[in-house]
Amino acid sequence: MLELDPTTLLVLVPALPLAGALLTVLLGRRLGSGAHWPAVVSIAAAAVAAVTLLVGLAGDVSEKASRVQPAPPVEMITTLWQWATVADAYAPAAGSPAAAGEDLAARSAGLPAALPFSIGIDLRLDPLTATMLAVITCVGLLVAIYSIGYMHDDPGYPRFFALVAAFVFSMAMLVAASNFLLVYVFWEAVGACSYLLIGFWFQRPTAAAAAKKAFLVNRVGDFGLAVAVFLLWMTYGTLNFHDTTLADGSLMPGILGAERLGAAAGIVGGTVGTAICLLLLLAACGKSAQLPLHVWLPDAMEGPTPASALIHAATMVTAGVYLVARCAPLYVACPAALTTVSIVGATTALVAALIGTVQNDLKRVLAYSTISQLGYMFASLGTGTLLGFTAAIFHLVTHAFFKALLFLGAGSVMHSMGGVIDMRRFGGLRRIMPITAATFLIGSLALAGVAPFAGFFSKDEILAALHSRGWTHHAAEHHDAEVHEGHAGGELPSVPEARPAIYRTESGPLIQFASAGDGEPEAETSAGTFRLLYWMSLFTAALTAFYTFRAVFMTFTGPTRVPEEAGHHAHESPRVMTIPLVILAVAATVSGWLLFSTEALSRFLAATPSLAAPAVAATATPHAFHLDLAIQGTLAAAVGILIAAIGYLGRSSDGPQPERFLGPLEGLFANRFYLDELYTALIVRPLEFFGLLAAGFDRYVIDGLVNLVACVPLAIGAVVRRLQSGLLQRYAVAGVMGTLLVVLALAWQLRG
Amino acid sequence: MTPSPLVLDGLMVGGMLFALGLVGILARRNLIVMFLSAELMLQGVSVSLVSWSRHHGDWGGHVLVIFVLTVAACEAAVALVFVLQAFARSGRLDSAAWQSLRESNLSRTVDHELPAVDAVAPVFPRLTPAGVAPHVAEDANLEREHV
Amino acid sequence: MSPGEGLSMTGSILAVAVGCAAASLWLLLPRGEGGVRERMARRFGTLLGCVSLALFIATGHRLGGVGEEAVFLVVALVAVISGAATIVTRSPVYSAIWFALALAGVAGVLLVLGAQFLGVATIVVYAGAILVMFLFVLMLAQPSGMAPYDRVSNEPLLSAVAGAVLLGLLTLFIGRLSAGPADCCAVPSKATALGSEGAQDSAVADAPSADPLAANHVARLGGELFGRHLLAVEAAGVLLLVALIGSIAIVSRTPPEERVELARRADA
Repeated sequence: MLELDPTTLLVLVPALPLAGALLTVLLGRRLGSGAHWPAVVSIAAAAVAAVTLLVGLAGDVSEKASRVQPAPPVEMITTLWQWATVADAYAPAAGSPAAAGEDLAARSAGLPAALPFSIGIDLRLDPLTATMLAVITCVGLLVAIYSIGYMHDDPGYPRFFALVAAFVFSMAMLVAASNFLLVYVFWEAVGACSYLLIGFWFQRPTAAAAAKKAFLVNRVGDFGLAVAVFLLWMTYGTLNFHDTTLADGSLMPGILGAERLGAAAGIVGGTVGTAICLLLLLAACGKSAQLPLHVWLPDAMEGPTPASALIHAATMVTAGVYLVARCAPLYVACPAALTTVSIVGATTALVAALIGTVQNDLKRVLAYSTISQLGYMFASLGTGTLLGFTAAIFHLVTHAFFKALLFLGAGSVMHSMGGVIDMRRFGGLRRIMPITAATFLIGSLALAGVAPFAGFFSKDEILAALHSRGWTHHAAEHHDAEVHEGHAGGELPSVPEARPAIYRTESGPLIQFASAGDGEPEAETSAGTFRLLYWMSLFTAALTAFYTFRAVFMTFTGPTRVPEEAGHHAHESPRVMTIPLVILAVAATVSGWLLFSTEALSRFLAATPSLAAPAVAATATPHAFHLDLAIQGTLAAAVGILIAAIGYLGRSSDGPQPERFLGPLEGLFANRFYLDELYTALIVRPLEFFGLLAAGFDRYVIDGLVNLVACVPLAIGAVVRRLQSGLLQRYAVAGVMGTLLVVLALAWQLRG
Repeated sequence: MTPSPLVLDGLMVGGMLFALGLVGILARRNLIVMFLSAELMLQGVSVSLVSWSRHHGDWGGHVLVIFVLTVAACEAAVALVFVLQAFARSGRLDSAAWQSLRESNLSRTVDHELPAVDAVAPVFPRLTPAGVAPHVAEDANLEREHV
Repeated sequence: MSPGEGLSMTGSILAVAVGCAAASLWLLLPRGEGGVRERMARRFGTLLGCVSLALFIATGHRLGGVGEEAVFLVVALVAVISGAATIVTRSPVYSAIWFALALAGVAGVLLVLGAQFLGVATIVVYAGAILVMFLFVLMLAQPSGMAPYDRVSNEPLLSAVAGAVLLGLLTLFIGRLSAGPADCCAVPSKATALGSEGAQDSAVADAPSADPLAANHVARLGGELFGRHLLAVEAAGVLLLVALIGSIAIVSRTPPEERVELARRADA
C-alpha cells in the first residue's frame, strides 16, 4: 500500500484534474466516445485524496478538541515553488494605513525596513479548505459521471470533460491557495471555465450572449477583488494568508496568519479595513450572483445542465461565500461591512425567491433558488458570529448536495423531454421517470427546509445566527460584555468621536466598532436591522418552499403530458445518470442530520485559523437546537408547500396559472424586477452611445490624421517613383555619386 | 614615412585606371564593354596593390594580386556565361534590355532616334587560297600607291 | 614656396585637370550623334584628355631622372591612354583590342614597380586567356554592323563627372601622402603605421627608392605563396573548379533528364 503524506495528497487534489484536463485535450479526439475516462478517473482520484485529507484532518482536530476546548487552529502550508520575488518592495511609509495603527507600527518595528514582495505557489490545508475540497471533488465526480450519459453524442464531448476537469483543478486551487494573488488567479480561472461552459454550445446565439454577459458582469466583481488585493498589499505589505519566515530569519506575519490574528491590532479596521471588506464583498457578489450582480446566473442556464449543476449551483458560485468566510477576521474588524454583507444577502434571497415564484423554466427556477440560497449564506456570514460563519459553510455543503441533485434531476427531465425545459409543456412525469421524480422530491424537501432533510438543519442554523444578532439575549450580550470589559479595563485611548478607534480587550482579541462612545446605540441599531433580516429570511423560507413545490407539482404531478420534441421515447434516464442522482439524494437526506447532531462540521470548522481567531472565536455560542426557530422555519415551509399544493397539485401545468392572482406584481416578478432593463438603460445604453461617439471620433478624426500622414509619403512617392526606371546602370550612377558625396564630405572634414 | 615617388606614381596610374573603368561601367551600354571596364578597374587595383607592396617591402600585395587574377578568371568565366544567356534571351548585348525592376506604371525607357551612320562598307582584305596560283588581272596595278 | 601655397597651387591645377578630364570623357563617350559633330567632339575630347593628363602629371611633379622613371612614364601613358580608348571606342571589338594594349601597359607598370612575375602573369592570363574568351563571346553574340546601344551611353555627363571627381579625390589623397604625415590625417597615418612594422622598414628608410623585394624575386614570391598562403591557394583552386562547373551548369540549357534521353537515343 502506498503511503501518502498529507502534503502529497494536497498537491494531488488539484494536480490530478489538471493532468486529466491536459490528457483530454491531447487525446480527446482519439479517445472518441471514451473521452470521459481521463477526466472521470482523475476527478475520482482527486475525490479520494480530498476525502482522505478531510477524514485525517477531522480525526486530528477532534482528537485535540477533546483535550483542549475549543480546538486549536490547524493549518498546513506547502510551498510548491516561489513564483515571484522582489526584494525591498514594500516600505511601510509614515502615514500609510499600515503605520497608522500604533500597535501595528510597533509590530513592524521588529521587521526590516523594507519587506520583499514574495509570492509562492502556496497550498494550504485547514478545515475550511479540506471541507471545500471534499465538496468540490465529490460533487464534481458525480456530475462528471452523470455527464457521461447526459452529454453522449455531443460533438464537443471531449471538450466538455476537459473543461470540467480544468474547472475542478481551478476551483481546488482557489480554495487551497494561501495567498491573495493566487486566489485572484484562480478566481479568474474558474470564471474562464464558467465562461467556456456557459458558452459550450457557442453556435447558439443565446448561449454566446449568456457567456458574454456572465463574463462581463463578473468583471465588475473581479475589479473589486483586484483593488482589494492592491489595498491589502498597501496595508499589510504581504499577500500571504500564512506567516512566512524571511531570508534574514525574521517572521513576517501573514494577513490571516497566527501571528497577526493572535496579536492585538493585527487587523486594520476603520475606513481602509471597511473599504477592503466592501471590495471583497463586491467580488463575492459577482462570483456568487448577489444583488446587484446576480443578473448573469439565470442566463448562465444556457450551458449544459451538468455544468450548471457543478459550477452555477454547487461549487463556483460558493466561491464568494468561501472568500468572505476565509476573510472572517477582516470582516469582524469592520461591523459596517458585516452588516452590509447581511443586508445584501437577505435582500438577494428575498428578491430571487420572489422572481423564482413565477418562472416557468425549470432550470431558471433552480437558478433563482441558487441565488436565493446563496443570499442566505451571505446573510449568515454577515452576522459576524462563529455560528454565522459555520452555518454558512454548513449550508454551502448541504446546498451543494441538494442543489446539484435538483439540477441533475432537471437535466434528467430535460434529457428525456428532448431538450424542453418549459414546465408548462410537460406534466405528470412521475409515471415516466420514477427515480428522477423521487430524487427530485427529496432534493425539493431539502431545499424547502423540511425536517429531517439536509436543508432543514443548515437553514435552522442560519436563522439561529440571524436571530442571535437580532435578539441580543443570546450571544450579543456576551459580545457586548466583552466590549464593555475592555472599556472598563482603562486601556481605551482617548480618541475623537468621529474617528474609528482601535482598542483591545483584557483577553487580547481586538474588537473594533465604528465609534467608541456609542457602542450601545450602534449595537441597538444593528439588532433592529438583524430583526428585520430575520423576518425577511423567514418569509424567504416560505417562498422557497412555495416555488420549489410549484416546480415539483407542475413537473411530476397531474395528467401525464410529453412535448412532441421528446418523440415516443420519453423514458427514464440511463443508469449512469440515475446513480449519481440516488447518491446525491442519500447525501441530501442524511448529511444535515449527521453533521448537525454530531456538531462535527462546526467543531471542525472552528479549527480553521480564520475562524479560530480570537475576535471570531469570542463570538462562539454553545451548540443548541433552537426549537422555537425550528418551529417557525417548519411552519414557513409548510405554509409554502400548502399554497403550492392548493395552486398546482394534480393540475395540468398548461392550465390557467394561479399566480395571475398576484396582479401587477406578477409582471414585476416575471420581469425580474426590471433589473435587466434598468441595467440596459443605465449602463449599456450610455456605454453604447459613448462607444458610438468614440467610433466616430476614431473613424473621422484619428483615421483622418493617419490618412493625412500617409498622404505625404504617397505624394512624395508619386514624384520619386519616376526615378525607378529599372535601368541598373542609372542606379549604379546614383550609387557612385552618393559614395563620392560621402567621400567628399569626409575629405572636407579631414582637410587639415 | 613618405612613399617613394615611384610608389606614388604607381598609385596614380592605378587610380586613373580605376576611374576610367568606373566611367566605362557607368556609361557604356554594351555588356562586353562593361565587362572590360570592370577588368580595367581590377587592373587599377592590382597596380595600387603592387605599389603598396613595394612601399612596405611586403609580399602581401603581390599575393593578393595573384588571387585577384584567379578570381577575375573565375568571374570572367561565369559572367560571360551570363552574358551569353542574356543575349540568348533578349537578342542584344544591351544592358538596357533589362528593365523589369522599374515601377509598374512607368513605361519602358527607349533610346531616341539615332541619326544614320555614314554607311561605309568595311573593306576586308581577300586572302589568296592556298596552293593555287593567284589569278592576276592583266590590267591590275601591282604597285602600291604609297610606299 | 611654402607648403600652403603649394597646396593651393596644386589644388587649382587639380581642379582644372578634373574639369578637363570630365569634359574630355563626356565628349569622347558615344552619345548617338554621328556625323561631323561626333568627329569634332572626338577630336576636341582627345585634346582635352591630353591636357588633363598633362595636368595630372604636373600635379605629380615627380618625374625626376631618366632611366627607370622615363620607362615608367611611357608604359603608364600607354596603359592610361589605351584604357581611355577602351571605354570610348564604339565597336566592342576595338574596345577589346585597346584593352589588350592597356594590359600591356599595365604589365609594363608592374615590371617597373618590381613585380616581374605579376607583369608576365597579367599578360599570360588576361591577354592570353580572358581576352580571347571575350572575343569568342563577341563573335557569338555581336550582331553584324554597329548596334544602336554601342552608339549611345548611359548618363554620359554624370558618369564622366563621377569618374573625374573620383580621380581628383584620389590625386588629392596621393598628394597628401607625399606631403608627409604631419599635413594629413587619416590615410597617411595608417600607411605609416603599417610601414613602421617589420625589420625591412629601416632598410627602406635608408634607400627610399630601393626595392627590398627585388632579390631572388620569383622564388621568394613562390615561397610566400605556397608557404603562408597555401590554404588560400587551395581555396582559389577550388574556386576555379566551382566556376568551371557553374559555367557548364548554367550554359547547358537542356534539363538533365532530357540529356539522358538524348544519349539513350544516340546509343540506339
